[in-house]
Amino acid sequence: MTATFRYIACLALIISSTAISAAELTEIIAYPSDIGLYNARDRQTITVQAVFADGLTRDVTAEATIAVADQNLIKLEGTTLAPTADGETTVSVTFGGKTLSLPAVVKDSAVTPELSFKLDIMPIFMKANCNTGSCHGAASGKDGFRLSLFGFDHVGDYQRVTREIGNRRINLAFPHESLMLTKSTAVVPHTGGTRFRKGDSLYNLMHEWIDAGALADKADIPTCTKIEVYPKSAVLDGEGATQKITVRAFYSDGTNRDVSHLAFFLSSNENSVLIEQDGTTTALNRGEAFVMARFDTHTVGTHFIVLPKGLDFTWKELPENNYVDTLLHEKFKKLRIIPSELCSDEEFLRRATLDITGRVPTVDEYNAFLADADPKKRDKLVDDLLGRKEFVELWVMKWAELLTIRTTNQISYKSMLLYYTWLQDKIANNVPMNVMVQDLLASNGGTFANAATNYYQNERDTLKVAENVAQVFMGMRIQCAQCHNHPFDRWTMDDYYSFAAFFSQIGRKAAEDPREIIVFNSGTGVVRHPVGNRVMEPKFLGGETPDVKGKDRRQIMANWLASNDNPYFARNLSNIVWAHFFGQGIINEVDDVRVSNPPVNGALLDALAAKFTEYNYDFKKIVRDICTSRAYQLSTGTNETNEKDSRNFSHAALRRMRAEIMLDAITQITSTSNKFPGLPNGARAVQIANGNTSTYFLTTFGRAKRETVCACEVKMEPNLSQALHMLNGDTVNSKITQGKLIPTRLGEEVPIPQILEELYIRCLCRKPTEKELTNLMEIISQEENKQQALEDTFWALLNSREFLFNH
Amino acid sequence: MLPVLFRFTSKLNFLNTSHNRYFKRMELCEKMFRSSPTPISLASRAHSKSWMLLAATLCGLILATCVQAASPTLSLILPRGVQRGVENTISFRGARLADAEEIFFYSPGFEVTNLEPSASAAVVTVNIAADCRMGEHVAQVRTRSGITEFRTFWVGPFAATAEVEPNNSFEEPQKIALNTTVQGIVTNEDIDYYAFEVKAGQRISAEVEAMRLGTTLFDPYIAIIDAKRFELSADDDTPLAKQDAIASTIAKEDGTYYVMIRESSYAGNGNCRYNLHIGTFPRPLAVYPAGGKVGEATEVKFLGDPAGTTTQTVQLPTTVEPQFALFPQDEHGIAPSGNPFRLFEHGNSLETEPNNTIAEACAAELPNAFNGIIGEEKDIDYFRFTAKKGQVFDIECFARRIRSPLDPVMNLYNATGGSLVGNDDSRGPDSYFRYTFPADGEYVLRVTDHLGRGGETFVYRVEFRPVTPSLALGIPRVARYSQSRQQIFVPRGNRYATIISASRSNFGGELQLQSEGLPTGVTMHVENMPANMSVMPVVFEAAADAPLAGALIKLSAKHTAENSNISGHFKNRADLVISAPGQSLYVFKDVEQLPIAVVEEVPFTLEIVQPKVPLVRTGVMSLKVIAHRKEGYTKAITLQFPFRPPGVGTRSTVVIPEGKTEAFYPLNASGSAQIRTWPIYVLGSADIGGTGWVSSQLATLEVAEPFVTFSMERASVEQGLETQIFCKLNHATPFDGTATVQILGLPANVTTTNMEFNKDTKELVFNIKTDKTSPAGKHTNVFAQITITKDGEPMTSRAATTQLQIDKPLPPPKNAPPKPKPMPMAVAVAPKPAPKPMAKPLSRLEKLRLAAQQRTNPETDGGEE
Repeated sequence: MTATFRYIACLALIISSTAISAAELTEIIAYPSDIGLYNARDRQTITVQAVFADGLTRDVTAEATIAVADQNLIKLEGTTLAPTADGETTVSVTFGGKTLSLPAVVKDSAVTPELSFKLDIMPIFMKANCNTGSCHGAASGKDGFRLSLFGFDHVGDYQRVTREIGNRRINLAFPHESLMLTKSTAVVPHTGGTRFRKGDSLYNLMHEWIDAGALADKADIPTCTKIEVYPKSAVLDGEGATQKITVRAFYSDGTNRDVSHLAFFLSSNENSVLIEQDGTTTALNRGEAFVMARFDTHTVGTHFIVLPKGLDFTWKELPENNYVDTLLHEKFKKLRIIPSELCSDEEFLRRATLDITGRVPTVDEYNAFLADADPKKRDKLVDDLLGRKEFVELWVMKWAELLTIRTTNQISYKSMLLYYTWLQDKIANNVPMNVMVQDLLASNGGTFANAATNYYQNERDTLKVAENVAQVFMGMRIQCAQCHNHPFDRWTMDDYYSFAAFFSQIGRKAAEDPREIIVFNSGTGVVRHPVGNRVMEPKFLGGETPDVKGKDRRQIMANWLASNDNPYFARNLSNIVWAHFFGQGIINEVDDVRVSNPPVNGALLDALAAKFTEYNYDFKKIVRDICTSRAYQLSTGTNETNEKDSRNFSHAALRRMRAEIMLDAITQITSTSNKFPGLPNGARAVQIANGNTSTYFLTTFGRAKRETVCACEVKMEPNLSQALHMLNGDTVNSKITQGKLIPTRLGEEVPIPQILEELYIRCLCRKPTEKELTNLMEIISQEENKQQALEDTFWALLNSREFLFNH
Repeated sequence: MLPVLFRFTSKLNFLNTSHNRYFKRMELCEKMFRSSPTPISLASRAHSKSWMLLAATLCGLILATCVQAASPTLSLILPRGVQRGVENTISFRGARLADAEEIFFYSPGFEVTNLEPSASAAVVTVNIAADCRMGEHVAQVRTRSGITEFRTFWVGPFAATAEVEPNNSFEEPQKIALNTTVQGIVTNEDIDYYAFEVKAGQRISAEVEAMRLGTTLFDPYIAIIDAKRFELSADDDTPLAKQDAIASTIAKEDGTYYVMIRESSYAGNGNCRYNLHIGTFPRPLAVYPAGGKVGEATEVKFLGDPAGTTTQTVQLPTTVEPQFALFPQDEHGIAPSGNPFRLFEHGNSLETEPNNTIAEACAAELPNAFNGIIGEEKDIDYFRFTAKKGQVFDIECFARRIRSPLDPVMNLYNATGGSLVGNDDSRGPDSYFRYTFPADGEYVLRVTDHLGRGGETFVYRVEFRPVTPSLALGIPRVARYSQSRQQIFVPRGNRYATIISASRSNFGGELQLQSEGLPTGVTMHVENMPANMSVMPVVFEAAADAPLAGALIKLSAKHTAENSNISGHFKNRADLVISAPGQSLYVFKDVEQLPIAVVEEVPFTLEIVQPKVPLVRTGVMSLKVIAHRKEGYTKAITLQFPFRPPGVGTRSTVVIPEGKTEAFYPLNASGSAQIRTWPIYVLGSADIGGTGWVSSQLATLEVAEPFVTFSMERASVEQGLETQIFCKLNHATPFDGTATVQILGLPANVTTTNMEFNKDTKELVFNIKTDKTSPAGKHTNVFAQITITKDGEPMTSRAATTQLQIDKPLPPPKNAPPKPKPMPMAVAVAPKPAPKPMAKPLSRLEKLRLAAQQRTNPETDGGEE
């Protein structure tokens, strides 16, 4: 940070402190809440955060008074505590008339432990960016020196640092001449430049370790079990406000230490919050950011909100239909956002019908809904739509995408169709989602006899099956951890291979019909860790190691995965459902759940997950909660507080209709029909069973091919081919002609304004405005061929953005 | 525009003309036969001799035209199902059937009363006996010029009704009577509905033959639906009918009921034909026990019928029939297909529950077959039995093979529960192992389902068979998935030959082939099949006056060893339905009779000119084949040499060109060709309208050791110089006269001369000349070809290869300019004192030694001392 910038930041701090004097101090929080100093090296920094009545927070560490009760035990150096003698005492923190007392423990204050390669030196590689993929972490290393990517293999790294190119990387005689130090400080040419300077804490640590003989770690060295990042959250008042971040690591031997100087920091939104590697965050533009610290294999984040300085905001009390609104409003209050108004009945009718059933409302439905004076009519509509078979079909399609139902070399058309029918039965019969998923993942038998087993025919590679299960049912992409510990998530290679071990005993054998394969529990087979070739015991992802002896491993995994014991299952499914109705998930993408991609409203996601579990995984009920919430009924229009918000669901999002729904809508509106292979004439695109079936229209508009489980398979991005196909492709134009709607109405001698009104309702679910009607009548009256003129209008409506988007 | 159109129309005209011409010819041919005073009756084989002669004469006259019918084919028998006990009209559809004469039925019960042949079909009126076995039957068509492949059709108990479209919805079904067989087609995305009236308490059974018909990949789905559209019973695949479907229920109330049929994945096409039996017949899905002792009355239970289990006592046949089945029958009817039932030499041991642990194992007795039902999920059956030390059994579990849903896993334990052997799928889903019992004592056999399933119909039986020799004969296929040349059709006064293969199991030894029931005038020429051979040629010869007739014959073979009663017979498999994945075989049909027929004359015969000399190992021979052509027949004849003795190779075909009468078939023998006198033949085919096939006589080919073998020394030479290749001769068999030897495989620009030798020659030396352009390097493929003439015929063999090394001249050493000159001088001078040069030409090794000596001792000049 440049001096000028620091000056400005300082200035901003002063200004902000005066600005906030209006709000009352409600509490102070000191981090950490208890102090433990476990050896002579151990230090602990104290961070003090003030919370004000308006929700703003401020780093007041510098202004607070910190005092140690028994100064014989702990020495205070600025805001850092250092041990002097063993014992227990307290540390008091005082600010703005409020005082906190923190218990403190000092142990082994006279012991200076040896530096550990794993615990002290490995973090340096991460902190100094040595072991990233673009540097020495690359598969073949860089400039002749290789480190394991993000430090997944500390044994190998020790070997390479100390044993390769003897005496050069490590010079025990003259530690300061070790390449590890001369390269890092760029004393000798280093492609990676200066990573730290002589005298820096990282330099000193490395030097000390080499000086002590660059010893290998003892076998019983403790492991880091978790890290905590302080403060837990912050609401910063305007550009320039700062907040110091500290990180504390907890070890398997019960100790903990301040590792702020060894942790690597990153911010999810550098436009709002900037973080320096010394842990200082600085607020920039209005917005939210997730500030993360990475240490050892752990990544933990903390939530930051940056508000415009001195924002004048008054929360307007709004009705709350259910818990969804309550939790969203809480977040809005923090963000100083007032959600949009409710949308019109017409908009709601169209939105809900499209979202819930994948159809557009008919003229009759439009008239009936608008004529209904019941104040609960929106809820009634949701219930009505949820009862229709189209709702089931839509979700069968979405599940078919997740389960990649398609014909392949392994899956015959018949197998595929039986698999699809199995899914259809489950969803149509409202089988609880957990039961369905358990049936699927634990399935055994022939691919005809028990079609769920096709899941294991779609993907036959053990590791990929494990990856798919994690991605679909837990929303996690654990692929990275196949080769190295996940850099932005908690998953290590151990987690990856232990989870994959659940799928290591899938037996497959030929059935009597050559198209059928019998999937069974073979009872034998293991997964080995590529580093060291260890046999991995099956372990739930983020969970315990169950007893699998003599049991079907998949059955045990399925029972855990689709249950309350798995914290990710209900959250993930709720998020998938949410994303369908709001265009994006609370975690977005829905299958990219990771520490570094936190939910925008964790409380809401937790609540949805809890409800989903409470509803016994009946997802119709969760859909009902979502669709009857006020949030779902908001207008797409914005106010000045939420116009820039695109992630917090403070207004409805414009969403292009997905390929199948758009084709079905055009077909329905033009009163035509489609013929897809394997389906009777008139079937809807949503009902297509085989992922391999497609048409030019569907492909152009991004129908999922179901080749992978990735949520990204459904393409929602607009492109030129789509526009051109709508304009002059053979879908819209020929369907208008085929449907003969206009000639029929003209033949029935329906007056033109009424025809226009019908067209508007059919296409846009609203009547034309006075102005639109006048303009159109003027154009049509000049036209000799009324049919042509009306068909042109029809065409124009189907090409309008109002039609193409769900709004 | 105009020219294109013109061109098109003119082409069309041309096509029409050629078609017209074709049809006119066909008409002519047909009229010729129709006009004969006695209509050609298929059933009676006693054609009047005079008529036969007339036909033969006529045929001879119009040969070029009428043999168009040669190589007939049969693609489909329609209808796919017929009713027994009544007269049926069956159409045998195919190609080149205008001269159809007879239908070969592979099983009894069919009496043909009329046959109307046309080019594309033989329409036959058949009386089917009331006791004709129901189920799949096999037939093929014999024409005057050939035999078609065989196809299947089904015999059932019910009168047939044809499907009438539209019947595609529940609202507009086709009305039928109960106990009817509907014959229909499921086209793409087609669904057929049939409606019928049923009284409360009546059983409704529906069974479809679709995939089993072997027409095409057609996997049906059927459902019995009530008036409220509830599916009472539905089935896609059932083990009893494989991919075909069986549904059965009891009607709860009077009313209209429906049977729906579709392709299981809504596919379908014009070939997806079905026989759908709808009626009140019993349709149990399993029989228990599923086997019994031949000749005994056995009590069996029929399981899985909606009306409940029934018990019957059946009198079993006295001989083992592999395809035996029991047809469930009661007062409401008979099931259209049977439940497979094993006929066995020994009785049954039945399981007694509980027998789910080794301790509770139920007692069973050898040599009985063990029978049981895996009655519920996770059920395990244990049998305890006594075996003697040294007993060896093939232990076979029959489950899916008797169409049970069970996928058995079979394990054998000793009396204390120690695991001995186990198997899951050695016999398809069924289990099998061979086990030698190590000691007298008790053993325990365990049977369970692979997936832990179970149910009322999960019947199985375990048979213990002593290891017995078995033998099966066949004709190796000449084309994949095809029955091409799997029939024997011998032209009158001519020959036809095939290879017969034998697969021996559990024994070895020489086999003697036998045939039973050959048509009049046909003889079979065959030699015994040696113990080390699994194929041998067989030539069938028809006398010139042999009547045009055919038969399904029994071809068998027996072990020639005295006191051996090992024998086996011909089996043939037709691949009826092949489809993805990977050309999988879905439906096939095995038969055990060989169709053979005397067909019309073919305008050529073939003769192998019997070679007088053997084909020697490493040698070659040109086998002369003569075609004796009928006057005026000049078409090219393609020869094949189907039977190749071990180590003998040749070309796949050789052609006797148009108008020519002979060709030479080049044969070669490897160094390890089996020494023996072998029967050989050539097979010729030629265009006689269709393709006519004829074989030569069964000639003999002697494979022998070469009379002389050579060992050749390696040689080396500098470019432009000469060298010698020194050969030692080993005479194995003396011969008369002189033989010639030729060095082959020399590189370019290297020459030598051919030499001659006689039975006394021990050594030969070839002078090899090179020039400056002869390619330098090691030439490893130089060999001698020896031709010895015996009885006026050449015998050519090849001696072992040697190596000729050609070196570039060494560049002159840099610091020793004067030296190179004297060296060649020395060589040039060397021959001087050689009035006796032939005394001892130096071998390559000796030369090298000499050269080495000269290098170490440069002063000593070669051989001067």
